[in-house]
Amino acid sequence: MAEEEVVDPKKYLEESCKPKCVKPLLEYQACVKRIQGDDSGHKHCTGQYFDYWSCIDKCVSSFDFPFSVHFVIFLYVMILR
Amino acid sequence: MVGGGVIQQILRRKLHSQSVATPVRSWFSSKKAHVDTGSSGVRAFALLGAGVTGLLSFSTVASADEAEHGLACPDYPWPHDGILSSYDHASIRRGHQVYQQVCASCHSMSLISYRDLVGVAYTEEEAKAMAAEIEVVDGPNDEGEMFTRPGKLSDRLPQPYANESAARFANGGAYPPDLSLITKARHNGQNYVFALLTGYRDPPAGISIREGLHYNPYFPGGAIAMPKMLNDEAVEYEDGVPATEAQMGKDVVSFLSWAAEPEMEERKLMGFKWIFLLSLALLQAAYYRRLKWSVLKSRKLVLDVVN
Repeated sequence: MAEEEVVDPKKYLEESCKPKCVKPLLEYQACVKRIQGDDSGHKHCTGQYFDYWSCIDKCVSSFDFPFSVHFVIFLYVMILR
Repeated sequence: MVGGGVIQQILRRKLHSQSVATPVRSWFSSKKAHVDTGSSGVRAFALLGAGVTGLLSFSTVASADEAEHGLACPDYPWPHDGILSSYDHASIRRGHQVYQQVCASCHSMSLISYRDLVGVAYTEEEAKAMAAEIEVVDGPNDEGEMFTRPGKLSDRLPQPYANESAARFANGGAYPPDLSLITKARHNGQNYVFALLTGYRDPPAGISIREGLHYNPYFPGGAIAMPKMLNDEAVEYEDGVPATEAQMGKDVVSFLSWAAEPEMEERKLMGFKWIFLLSLALLQAAYYRRLKWSVLKSRKLVLDVVN
């Protein structure tokens, strides 16, 4: 009996959506670099962070096919048991 | 916040026109008066300054708003979304299991009784057995004393804390809200709860969360007292479905949606039936109205001019 590693579909989709959201990710990373030396504690990258994650969220929620992939994984697990 | 900036500009313009002693009602005409008097250069500059101030305050307020309002949650394709779609009752059953094992230690659902679950997620026997597992305070008995007894179908789901103060005390001052109506009590509730439960992430650079709170971008303000509760394999489902974080999130939100709107399926059926029937009635009424009015609408009026 093989223990199939359970893949969380949301994390899987978030990973596969990363290439679509490279631009906001680069903006966020640029912001991180910009505020690196800051000690005042007032600077933060919430704006860029939100832009990046809302891009990922839009992509994840509009994805259709991976749910069938998850179903296939589930079937695979059930048959092997 | 856009309205704030615009209203500021309008108010400043009105104040300017008032200071020139022109009637407030006709601030438009007073603007024309400004042009006519020739000192329009100074006034235009003052108006521009007011506008810039409004815009600047708008932009700084906007950036503070982002974390305040929380990250907007996306719309997920819930199976019960369609106009004639029912709940996924297997999902409701799993969701109740998640609630019982993960959430019930802190969150009450005091508006749901065990009998509500019958026919929705459990059979009567199953629900009775679940109810019998809890102890309920009842009474007074003939001697005037309160006593405890095993639960019945008519009892409400058990509360983890005696009252709000006890709940706050046990959770660092934060009150875990009752979940009976939570998907209706939050804007875009179903998507919000799912996004919140599955959205625990590392905070952005520059944001630090104090000890005792956790970062969640979807929570207004970003700092939530509840830690991440849904982790892969936290629950072992009775029906063998792999309990991933997203699966548990989906199931528990299905359960919470049912708890907040148990009448949804009946409502959709009723809505479909009555919209259909009333559309037929509308066609009939339209025909009947045109039939009756046809007498007047097909009149001919002859003007008899006497020369």
